[in-house]
Amino acid sequence: MSSRRRRGIGLKTYGFLVYFFLYFPLLIVLVFSFSPTKTIVGISGFTLKWYQELLRDGNLLAAFGHTLAIGAAAVGIAVVLGTAGAFFVSRASFPGKAVFRTLVLLPYILPGILMGISLLVVVKAIGIPLSPLTVLLGHVSFTVPVVMFQVMSRIARMGPNYQSAAMDLGANPLQTFWYVTLPMIRTAIVGAALLAFTVSFDEIVISYFLTGTWMTLPVYIYGMMRYGLSPKVYAISAVILVLSLALIMLMSRYTGRSAEVYRPRPSKG
Amino acid sequence: MSGRRISPPRTLARGIPMTVWMLLLVVIPLGYTFVTSFFQVDGLQIAARPTLKNYALFFTDPMYPGILLKSMLISLAIAVIAILAGYPLAYMVSFRVSRGRQVLFMLSIIPLWVSYLVRIIAWRTILGNKGVINSALEAAGIIREPLSFLLYNRFAIAVTLTYICIPFVFIPVYTALEKIPRNLLEASSDLGAGELRTFTSVVLPLSLPGLVTGFIFAFIIALGDYIIPQQLGGTQGIMFGNLIWSQFGFAFNWPFGAALSFILLAITVTILRLTSRFGSTEGGFLGE
Repeated sequence: MSSRRRRGIGLKTYGFLVYFFLYFPLLIVLVFSFSPTKTIVGISGFTLKWYQELLRDGNLLAAFGHTLAIGAAAVGIAVVLGTAGAFFVSRASFPGKAVFRTLVLLPYILPGILMGISLLVVVKAIGIPLSPLTVLLGHVSFTVPVVMFQVMSRIARMGPNYQSAAMDLGANPLQTFWYVTLPMIRTAIVGAALLAFTVSFDEIVISYFLTGTWMTLPVYIYGMMRYGLSPKVYAISAVILVLSLALIMLMSRYTGRSAEVYRPRPSKG
Repeated sequence: MSGRRISPPRTLARGIPMTVWMLLLVVIPLGYTFVTSFFQVDGLQIAARPTLKNYALFFTDPMYPGILLKSMLISLAIAVIAILAGYPLAYMVSFRVSRGRQVLFMLSIIPLWVSYLVRIIAWRTILGNKGVINSALEAAGIIREPLSFLLYNRFAIAVTLTYICIPFVFIPVYTALEKIPRNLLEASSDLGAGELRTFTSVVLPLSLPGLVTGFIFAFIIALGDYIIPQQLGGTQGIMFGNLIWSQFGFAFNWPFGAALSFILLAITVTILRLTSRFGSTEGGFLGE
């Protein structure tokens, strides 16, 4: 019994160290964003100076606006396409369906550099200049699979019986969708949209290849980093960190991971 | 059985928008990049004259396969370390914690969604010459000169990519562990197996699909990355991703870059196919 407890403590210590490894770097960014000095030792005082500087950086604010706009547009398109795609893949049978699913997933699981380069090669061949449109194309490529697979797993859990019942009771397909199906998948769609927005908000690997002079925030920050890490970089990083965390918290209320999938299973014994 | 049946045309027509999206943003770009890999550069123009020169260049100049091999070895090491960190974490949250499990689960996956760039910035800050580790050690009087092995080399790449990969390992492993019926553990214990024996004979084999999925994800993420080597790798830390990137940047040899991209794609797809029988790769991420 005592040896068992000791082993449990060993595992928990190890787990704690991994959590420390995961969160210490994020804490460092927050600390530096409020620090008047650039080193960690002898850090003293507290300043909001770098945050004020952010507000004076017109280009940075513009890039922030671009990121929000691209995110909203890409998520809007992804919600429509991804939800329609999820129903299609869940309900239709056709030869090559497995290939279809894999192809949809590719922009999300392939290394970003491959998607970025492929899209760059093709937009250049067509003659589309690098612009907000090319950035949007990049973001639509990976937000669609995010939405589609989230909604698909909800549809799979829901099963086809509710729709059949609605149809048997005389609802037409449109009514069935509006009154039965949509309410059941609504939280999955909201969760998927938040997840897709979070991914879009941070994306740089694909965007990097498709960006001209019209930059999203990560691409703009990446440019700033070429001249070393200024306190302003820490301040904007801290802002991004807090916004991402807020989005994740919001998302976790909708995706139903907590409510449906990861609830501790009652032991059957 | 119903999978063999083909849906009526009306149902199939609903797939048109998704098919158009797929053709425009997946099939045509990847296909055209493949075609480009057989083109050649003529001055600053890409000439559509078919050639195998790009692939020949890759296999004849030992530098290129060398970089690929080195990148694969680093990625392998990163995937192994990420498993060593992520698996015990998932095991702990799934089997050893009862109160606050949901919180620990969230804590384990939150880093997945926290900005990639912010995490790179954090590690540059920690490992730099005037960074957190060096200045702390100097202030403590342990070192006089900053430790230079921390940043701008493969060590820094490995640390940062491992950091990025841990949640990617955690999710599929945790999902697999949660699926293990708890009464199997009781049965194993009733039959006299100790904790270690139960782990090696019951838990580990049953969680293997999750472990393999996590491993593949970590490996692919590490192999395809170009931003982390650029930011933390310095001159000796060139990875395959940088090599591809540089063909589209200053080297301006898009056909060769396209050929390198296809080599990376072929490796990725091969690994995904080889390991797909261990379990679905999509499940761990976007499903569930």
